[in-house]
Amino acid sequence: MPDPTRRDFLKTSALVGGGLLAAESLALREAALASATPPAMSIARWDEAALANSDLSDVAVKLTQTAIESLGGMGRFVNKGDTVWVKPNIGWNRRPELAANTNPDVVAAVVRMCRDAGAKTVKVGDHPCHPARQAYRNSGIAKAVEEAGGKMVYLDKKRFKEMTIDGQHLKKWPLYVEIIEADLVINVPILKHHGLSKASMAMKNYMGIIGGNRGSWHQNLDACLADITQFMKPRISLLDAVRVLTDHGPQGGDPADVDVRGIVAASTDIVALDALGAELLGHDSQAIGNIGVAAARGLGTPDYRSLDPVEKTIS
Amino acid sequence: MSVQDKARRIIWIRRFVQTLVLVFFLVILAANRPADGVAPTAPVTIFFDLNPLVMVSTWLASHSLEGISLLGLLTLAVTLVFGRVFCGWFCPFGTLHNAVASLRKQFRKVVPRVEMFSRWQRAKYFIFLALLVMTSAGAQWIGVLDPFSLLYRSISLTILPALDVGVSAVANGVYLTDPHLGSLHLRDLTEPVYRWWQERVTATELRVFSGTGVVFLVFVTALVLNLVRNRFWCRYLCPLGGMLGLIAARPLLRLTSDPEACNSCQKCTLACPAAAQPEKPGEWLASECFGCWNCVGSCNNQGLDFQWTLPLQKTSSGSVDIGKRRALASVAAGVAGLSMMRITPAAQGKTFNPALIRPPGARAEYDFLQRCVKCGLCMQTCPSGGLQPTWAEAGLEGLWSPMLVPAIGWCEFECHACGQVCPTEAIKPLPLAEKKKVKIGLAVIDTTRCLPYAYGRECIVCEEHCPVPDKAITFEMREAMQRDGSVRLLKFPRVDPVRCTGCGICETKCPFQDLAGIRVVSAGEDRHPDNQPMLAGGDPYGDPNSDSNGNANEESNGDSYGY
Repeated sequence: MPDPTRRDFLKTSALVGGGLLAAESLALREAALASATPPAMSIARWDEAALANSDLSDVAVKLTQTAIESLGGMGRFVNKGDTVWVKPNIGWNRRPELAANTNPDVVAAVVRMCRDAGAKTVKVGDHPCHPARQAYRNSGIAKAVEEAGGKMVYLDKKRFKEMTIDGQHLKKWPLYVEIIEADLVINVPILKHHGLSKASMAMKNYMGIIGGNRGSWHQNLDACLADITQFMKPRISLLDAVRVLTDHGPQGGDPADVDVRGIVAASTDIVALDALGAELLGHDSQAIGNIGVAAARGLGTPDYRSLDPVEKTIS
Repeated sequence: MSVQDKARRIIWIRRFVQTLVLVFFLVILAANRPADGVAPTAPVTIFFDLNPLVMVSTWLASHSLEGISLLGLLTLAVTLVFGRVFCGWFCPFGTLHNAVASLRKQFRKVVPRVEMFSRWQRAKYFIFLALLVMTSAGAQWIGVLDPFSLLYRSISLTILPALDVGVSAVANGVYLTDPHLGSLHLRDLTEPVYRWWQERVTATELRVFSGTGVVFLVFVTALVLNLVRNRFWCRYLCPLGGMLGLIAARPLLRLTSDPEACNSCQKCTLACPAAAQPEKPGEWLASECFGCWNCVGSCNNQGLDFQWTLPLQKTSSGSVDIGKRRALASVAAGVAGLSMMRITPAAQGKTFNPALIRPPGARAEYDFLQRCVKCGLCMQTCPSGGLQPTWAEAGLEGLWSPMLVPAIGWCEFECHACGQVCPTEAIKPLPLAEKKKVKIGLAVIDTTRCLPYAYGRECIVCEEHCPVPDKAITFEMREAMQRDGSVRLLKFPRVDPVRCTGCGICETKCPFQDLAGIRVVSAGEDRHPDNQPMLAGGDPYGDPNSDSNGNANEESNGDSYGY
């Protein structure tokens, strides 16, 4: 038999690789079929004892992967050829250690999983409070995302378009066209303290896709957040609690306000996810106004335990 | 090879050099952008470093060599040897004038006009002298007329923003309306171009500057004057040209002419952009000549050439007679100009303009104005776009110097770019950790506008944006009566004058867009001991163990600012 040519080699590897992929997705599908309804929530924790001696970057990546896999894998949400918009919180020109922005390794892991699930383009972007270029860079997110094969997008002030929200308070509001046009928006907030809403999590993170006079939302923040959440119909959100900002949020700046918790959670129920976040910050979820309002609207349940979350502790 | 051929070759080399320098100027200008929050690494001040007018005037005004580049000496040395080749070969503004003048020739078949030397060309020497007098008394007004400052300011504050407005309007228009033929989308064509433009040229959100109409008008006027006389600006007005002209009175390389060969055809006069009298054997004006070689190249009789001469040898050329009385008059004009600028209440420290918020690291107003050359580098590099040129805020003396306008943009906590790019250290190049502690002003709350105070509505926007890690805006819980008579417990913001640095982000982000409910004033700025409303020495009622910045004396606090 002649030596295999390069072409043959490529063919074989493609077949083998494809086979593996197929087997994997088959296994997942079987797993999904086994439990009649796929899980609605997952919580991945890093072994607390091991946390101090672990590389946080590694922790963030593995927790993110575990959280998504526990939900049934990214393939459950991403279709081949999709354009996905990953929406982290990159609100501030702050380095990762200060926990004002989503952990860059979490974001990169999400991007990678989207790519692996067959997404055509994975865009990452936010509408920061600080200058976008500085925030993207100092948050560490730009570098991490580009290495993961994602595309950082700077939002252009002129590309917001007024859309019909038809919410209880918001009737119309300018939103970012490119985000709304994406096949899937994955909301990836960081868990942090907030001066008004006490906690800033997934619903609050939607303020990064809106234009207009954002500051004015605070006059009726709970209703506005419920309205935008209702409009966005989130299919999956992922909460980064690897580092948590416990005070002086949402911007922080003092390392003393940062707590390393080593937790990443994901859910199809954004209200449940935020309720978990509230609990992690030491609040009763009833104390967070927007959780109550969103729950009353039927956007999700604040009783996240009722979703029977898949909980895993790894190290 | 005949002299004429040699000259023609040199002229082509000169044009090449001129183009190269002009392109380099624009590239360097584009490099001075807030790409990602760190000061640009490109040598963005190189043109100002090479500028002897900036060097000498800053030195005279500040009586110090601190922070001044001595590269200007190189230009002076070159001028002593070759004459005003700086004007003819290097100056990008001069090249622009050349370009406009030659466009005029290309597109309008104008009748060639013989432009003889005019005694008005001495104006530039008088302007230079007057400015120098003002400068030595501390009023650095050179920047208003220095060609590099003028050119840089005009391009970065008016031309570039104008282009950006155009480019983004087209790109965004195409993007939002998405015109397409089948699967051919026009946006696929415009988007990459727009992306390149944003990444390589502007690297920031669209920014515009207030009150730049006059900057633009001066620039356009200077260019249009080429229709009156070739290189009008360089010949009549340029103070740097005046300075170099005085030094170039006896260069080593001089134009020699052969009276025998001259048939008075005046081709050289026509070719001369400087009206330096090449046509008059023995009366060539070294101080006016740009060393462009046009005259040599135009002489069909090979009657002209540049030749080396011994230093200080008596000239066989003419000289520009400035005259003692006229020189004295310029000095008097300088003194008059200076007094006019200084007889204002603000200049005498009787009033302080609350709007005059200088960038962090700016020296005390007097020292600052002695150094600021109004070039616009700091305003261009400011990532939030908040640094704007003054108009009347700093008086005539401070025209077009930088001030922070928080209604437009704020001083970014994690940025110190303005001080890094300032060519004369009018804004000191502070390390980031130090810059974060500089107070440039103080926030004041307008309770007739602030939402909780005036309208009983919830709002925490100023506090949430305050970048000081332990927050310079704190809350007081107060009851606010609502329309239905009910009472709502709201957070009322209050500014902590010890912690507030006056960065202005609270004002920029306040939901009130026209006139914010919290505004920054210049009071409390570190650089001015007389503009202090607060008792010095920190918090009078607070923890006696805290330092003057209001921080408890703990290690962790130093770290929180100083990373």
